[in-house]
Amino acid sequence: MPSQSSSAQTPREPSEPRWAQTPFYFNSAEHLLRIERERASTLGELLAAIKTCSDASIFQHTFRTLQEHHFIQEGYSNDFAHWTFFACNENGLAERLSGVDVCEFISLQALRSRLIEIMEEYLGQQPTIKDRMALEPFYFCASTSVVVPTAFVARNMAEFAEALEQISVHCVHYHFIEARLRLKLNSNDFSMWVEEQMGLKRTAELINRIDIYTSTLQGVRNRILRIVETALA
Amino acid sequence: MEPQNREQSTALSEGASNGSNGEGKQPSSVLAPTEAPPRDRRKKPRIRETPPTPPPPPRLDDYEPLIGKAELDELRFLAQALHGKTVKMVNSTAVGGGVAEILNRLTPLLTELEVATHWDVITGGNDFFEVTKAFHNALHGGAYQLTNEAREIFLLHNEQNRARMRFDEDVIILHDPQPAALIKSKTDNHQRWIWRCHIDLSNPHPEVWGFLRPLVEQHDAAIFSSQAFARQLSIPQYLFYPCIDPLSEKNKQLDASFIQQVCDDFGIDRSRPILTQISRFDRLKDPLGVIQAYQLAKKYADCQLVLAGGSATDDPEGAVVLAEVMQAAGDDPDIIVLNLPPWSGLEINALQSASTIIIQKSLKEGFGLTVTEALWKGKPTIGSAVGGIPNQVIHKLTGALVHSVEGCAYQIRYLLTHPEFAEQLGKNGREHVKENFLITSNVKRWLLLFQIMMGIARQ
Repeated sequence: MPSQSSSAQTPREPSEPRWAQTPFYFNSAEHLLRIERERASTLGELLAAIKTCSDASIFQHTFRTLQEHHFIQEGYSNDFAHWTFFACNENGLAERLSGVDVCEFISLQALRSRLIEIMEEYLGQQPTIKDRMALEPFYFCASTSVVVPTAFVARNMAEFAEALEQISVHCVHYHFIEARLRLKLNSNDFSMWVEEQMGLKRTAELINRIDIYTSTLQGVRNRILRIVETALA
Repeated sequence: MEPQNREQSTALSEGASNGSNGEGKQPSSVLAPTEAPPRDRRKKPRIRETPPTPPPPPRLDDYEPLIGKAELDELRFLAQALHGKTVKMVNSTAVGGGVAEILNRLTPLLTELEVATHWDVITGGNDFFEVTKAFHNALHGGAYQLTNEAREIFLLHNEQNRARMRFDEDVIILHDPQPAALIKSKTDNHQRWIWRCHIDLSNPHPEVWGFLRPLVEQHDAAIFSSQAFARQLSIPQYLFYPCIDPLSEKNKQLDASFIQQVCDDFGIDRSRPILTQISRFDRLKDPLGVIQAYQLAKKYADCQLVLAGGSATDDPEGAVVLAEVMQAAGDDPDIIVLNLPPWSGLEINALQSASTIIIQKSLKEGFGLTVTEALWKGKPTIGSAVGGIPNQVIHKLTGALVHSVEGCAYQIRYLLTHPEFAEQLGKNGREHVKENFLITSNVKRWLLLFQIMMGIARQ
């Protein structure tokens, strides 16, 4: 990928309009839910299943649930945390699981390891709760994803802003959140393109710093738009 | 108090039994009055005597104001790769029931997307449908003695249907257990067969399931309506939530004047909070529990309760339950019990739209599409944590989940005294439905599944 080392050293964003050598093609992803074999009725069973379930299940119950409930700001940010609280009444563990920020992970294996680490530590400290029956079982699911191109293409920042206003929130999730797994980087498609093609390193950083856990996906889109509009001004 | 003394049921019986001004007419239904109602909130009959002519099914573009152009474009893109492919849906009834209702909407939408979809209905005699009805109840966990005769009747009628039907399509979808033995026509390796199970298989009768399971596992995939309804199978299992059509009579946006008119007609006071449960008069819907919850909440908040359900005239147990409801309601003028004919979609819609809080306090539930309807209307919704309701009502986020009469009463009180929180629940609930439980989401799932099954998806 081309590096813009010169822009990295520039304290101010360039003011002239700039055209991308590679346009930004907005895609989306649609997901079909599979019902998997794993089920858990206790926290011990949940831990065992997290260790053995497919990567697609880890993805579904962390990344995807964020997308499915994109309109909610409050509550627990992944299905494991949600179930731990509502079905097992273990608020302490739920908070810790909920504190796992998917944006910090560039592989599902690393994310899985972190979840296991938190659960083992908590259940190690409180072994009596491991086998207590939950109010309802946790059913593991997994996503099969299909990439869906959209009609939106951006060749400059103005087109980028215009497209951002019109794309679906699923498109925002695909480029801003899921992208980390694809890129294997702590970044996202929007920031990468803004920096590499538009030379706007600071703008790219600001976009990448948006906290997805304190906003809806619509809110994320609005914040990206504000940052982009500021860069355009 | 006898049910005949309840003025609300009186009014409804009149409305259902004649189309003219029902004042003073002798109603024919089981709820016919034998004496003058104690008070008269009703101005005129409000229920159509006969079913209205159904409007033509909506076209894809009609959904754009609701879901946006981007969503529609995604559907069209997903369908593009399937142009020229053919699909057959098979079920056991063309009218009545949720499956037929969904297929009535799904088939034209898929066809409009140029995925030619043909809908076939199997035929059978009374003996066949008696067996399949018994299977249905047994698969829900009911007691049943599976006989060889029942097995033979099931297989014989499936065989007769198999002999008259052709299976040339690329994808064949068999809905529910009734046509499951048509799978014997599966020969072409390129053809994909899918079993769509709309019922709860979490606790099936072992013998009946043991008989059906080998048929189910010959399919290439199975689809269930909830994770909790599925079985361990040797084939992939997918999750398709049931759905509502936002443009149907029950769910479309109504004029404020029509909503007001319906409330006026039913004697509902819109200046005070309205709690509503929409469901047939069935013990599993716990209408008596709803009345108790209302009575507990009423000590703190001046509110009304509307219990509106389907006609019970052809259901002896339903009539008994309705009588129990009327008795429990006593002479409280703020409990309004409405026994509606099946074609009251607009009236149900108006009642839901006028409600302050919608309740579904079922003891056992399928997916609970009345909850979906309530959430779609942006109403704060209280639901029991049973069946598919927890898929829809996420506690304190898209509604309130309860486990008891007392819990239900508390949530009523809380939501009535925290209107901003209640409003936020309603907003979240509508978004949840928009994202997951609309017919357009259902169309998308089918398109994705077809792509995946045919190996043409870009994953």
